[in-house]
Amino acid sequence: MSDLATPKPAAAPALPRAWPRRFILWGLALAALAYLPVLLTERMIFGIYLSNMTLLNLGLSQVNLMLIAMLGALSLNYLTGCAGLISIGHAAFYATGAMSAAVIGTQLGLPFPLVLIGSALAGAVMGVVAGLPSLRVQGLYFVLSTMAVHYLVAYVFLEYQFRVFDVVGVPFGTPSLFGFELSTPMRWYFFLLALVALVYAGLSNSLRSREGRALLAMRDHERAATSLGVDVRILRIKAFGLTSAIAAVAGTLYAHYLSNATSESFGITFAIQFIAMIIIGGMGSLKGSLIGAALWLLLPSIITGFAAGFGGGSGIVGSMLGEHRAQFVQLIFGLLVVALLIYAPGGLVSIGPKVRALLGRWRKG
Amino acid sequence: MLGQVLFSGLALGSIYGLVALGFVVILKATDVFNFAQGMFVVCGAYLAVTALSLLGLPFPLAILFIILGAALMGMGVHAALIRPLSGRPILSIIMVTIALSIVMRAGIEILYGPAGRTLSTPLPSGGFLFAGLRISQLHLTAAAVSWLCMLAFGLFFRFTSVGLLMRAAADSHEAATIAGVKVDAMNRLAWAIGFTLAAIGGLFLGQLQIVSTELETIGLLALPAVVIGGMQSIPGAILGGLLVGVIEQLASTYISPKSADVMIYALLLVILLVRPWGLLGQKAINRV
Repeated sequence: MSDLATPKPAAAPALPRAWPRRFILWGLALAALAYLPVLLTERMIFGIYLSNMTLLNLGLSQVNLMLIAMLGALSLNYLTGCAGLISIGHAAFYATGAMSAAVIGTQLGLPFPLVLIGSALAGAVMGVVAGLPSLRVQGLYFVLSTMAVHYLVAYVFLEYQFRVFDVVGVPFGTPSLFGFELSTPMRWYFFLLALVALVYAGLSNSLRSREGRALLAMRDHERAATSLGVDVRILRIKAFGLTSAIAAVAGTLYAHYLSNATSESFGITFAIQFIAMIIIGGMGSLKGSLIGAALWLLLPSIITGFAAGFGGGSGIVGSMLGEHRAQFVQLIFGLLVVALLIYAPGGLVSIGPKVRALLGRWRKG
Repeated sequence: MLGQVLFSGLALGSIYGLVALGFVVILKATDVFNFAQGMFVVCGAYLAVTALSLLGLPFPLAILFIILGAALMGMGVHAALIRPLSGRPILSIIMVTIALSIVMRAGIEILYGPAGRTLSTPLPSGGFLFAGLRISQLHLTAAAVSWLCMLAFGLFFRFTSVGLLMRAAADSHEAATIAGVKVDAMNRLAWAIGFTLAAIGGLFLGQLQIVSTELETIGLLALPAVVIGGMQSIPGAILGGLLVGVIEQLASTYISPKSADVMIYALLLVILLVRPWGLLGQKAINRV
């Protein structure tokens, strides 16, 4: 984990020659990302229709939900992987975001940009409140305090939902950004893609700033960081405020995308899935949180697609894929997390370099 | 009314105390904060379903089946997941227990189906009036058995040589190893005991309610119970369990059933802020 703290040595002389290739790769990636929603909506490429199986049974809404989950995973990984603060209360910030969006947007009817700003502020305040126990307790006790905060927020959401709305849940309208209505999955996609890119860039830049370095130092050795003049108490609260603001925005978007939210939407399992994502992807690696979120959101429907492709099958595999699909997916994810924790604690991002080193050795030897 | 609520609160609290005791045994021995303890409770309930309904074993044999099954599973969990991860950061260990509970839940739902099952045992299930209170015999039996188990475990821990070895191993792994204690075997035993205590709790909870994976949330109430009582303290776990049971019943009777959880966790938060070492725990001193 400590390799994050050391800045990459800048290969200054080689830079000019490396530029064009990098540009081409970036361009290709951008083109692919821009073409992806078209492909997933039209379901054909160069006039050739693609079957559901070729597209891995994926639709654009799964991709959009994945992008929203990426926001949550990024913020949790920043908090847990980079700042070293474990939180099981991430669903509470989602709920805070959804709740403040309901007050500002659904009840007061204010425009969407204000809703986003309001929920970010509410999330930041909630994050500071949830981070306050970190001044007094640490480690396991702090984990439990975030869990307690989760139950408190969940209860408030429940009361709010039943006082103001009803059993069906809190409704959310179609958001519109300065005249750009987020009415189709395609529009959502580009909005979310830009937002994820923005958050990713912001967080990775902040890790290179003075405070980001202090954050990593705090994670690696709290007392050493304190002795170097880092005020870990303030830093912790700041990290909490920032990440929960992001999580609250993600919660707002999630609620708007599904156009409805109930108190059951943000349970403790909802929080746990983010921890699973960052463990799968790679603790402390922002890239890893993207990979983890992608896997977590896309794999279930890929498995479902295969189940349909095999026509239900027969015997044990058939019943696993047919009748108990949800449980089967859970089983796979659970085992994946266990296997990664035991054999590759750095997550999937840590496997790549290992494989490359192995291949290199094999080629040489 | 109040007496009635207190009775059922204390009876349920005894079961929580039993589950929490199992939790503390595991925590003390291996420093693992076991989020799968709720699923251990569910496992106990399903072991009971397997023994009584599916295999049709006579009750004493079924009890033996549950205890042996739970002990074996506890040892299996320790050998497969906990030992390979010893010395890892706290999040890895927390997460492996969470992943374990996800796997167990999925496995149980695949094997037994997601629908709940009723569990019927030959334990007395009627009720009688005592001093104006309706006493349910099942609640009473559950509480009595829980206290018996806790007592038996306390005596085992305090007065037998194996109990002494376990205490030594929990106190300091290194010192115990040097003195010739097989620390690994002691830890395995601790996991077996922790799982078994949870499974006995599951047997009763499954009978008081319906056996389904939803019992996990009830089993997880052992977590706040342990912290409220004091993490490293065995009497604390029992006291915490009783408190959680009473608060749960009071809140769901006088406020609303949904407020039970929030009341328990609010108390947890207050305890964490005011007295993080719990009601009966010992304050940890940081030495430089």
